Amino acid sequence: MIPRSRRSVTSAVLVYLLLIVSLQIFLVTVAVDALQSGNDGLAWTTAVVSVVLAAGGALFYRYLRSS
Amino acid sequence: MSEVPVDPPVWRRDFPYTSSGEDDVTRRDFVRYLMLASAGFAVGNVGIAAWSSLRSINHGEPQRIVKLADVPEGGSYLFRYPTADDPAILVRLPGDQLAAFSQKCTHLSCVVYYQESDQRFECPCHEGVFDARTGDVLEGPPPRPLGRIDVEVRDDGAVWALAAEES
Repeated sequence: MIPRSRRSVTSAVLVYLLLIVSLQIFLVTVAVDALQSGNDGLAWTTAVVSVVLAAGGALFYRYLRSS
Repeated sequence: MSEVPVDPPVWRRDFPYTSSGEDDVTRRDFVRYLMLASAGFAVGNVGIAAWSSLRSINHGEPQRIVKLADVPEGGSYLFRYPTADDPAILVRLPGDQLAAFSQKCTHLSCVVYYQESDQRFECPCHEGVFDARTGDVLEGPPPRPLGRIDVEVRDDGAVWALAAEES
């Protein structure tokens, strides 16, 4: 039987990652829009935010593995 | 006769009978997939940004267009650049300023025409309008400016195209 607290941690990380992936999908639409309008600055800003979010997701996952 | 122990099939590991086992396996797997998806989106976004930057790099070889004296002030001249399949337009604006752009509308690639009275380019297909000095979109559905072509007047009195920015 899995301790309740551990399941809660897994669920919390799951929710955070769902939010991160939702944001990533939104950022892809922003990046494509920037590409269409020739706005390089916005495309790179979007890419940086996306990488930061992905790194955050990886940290959450690492925390989950260590817990 | 002794039975040989066999490993449980994959489907039984993925879909265990008890809810406790399922809780542990599927949630963590799902978290891992979400993390990988997030990383995939990040890679995709970096790729889109790189594509956006690379396509604005100029391309094309220097090419003689026309003698400057053959283009009246306020007039325009049609040519093809950087290849024979790429229609382009040179305009001589008031103040002896030259500007050249790809003639392909950035909406659906219809050919744009120069309106001398308004000093702007108009696309007849969906009424997109561009500024003749900068190529910026003034009205209509085009999502980005016309592709600019760098030009200069050389010692022989001719206008030369130097490079085109991809639109």
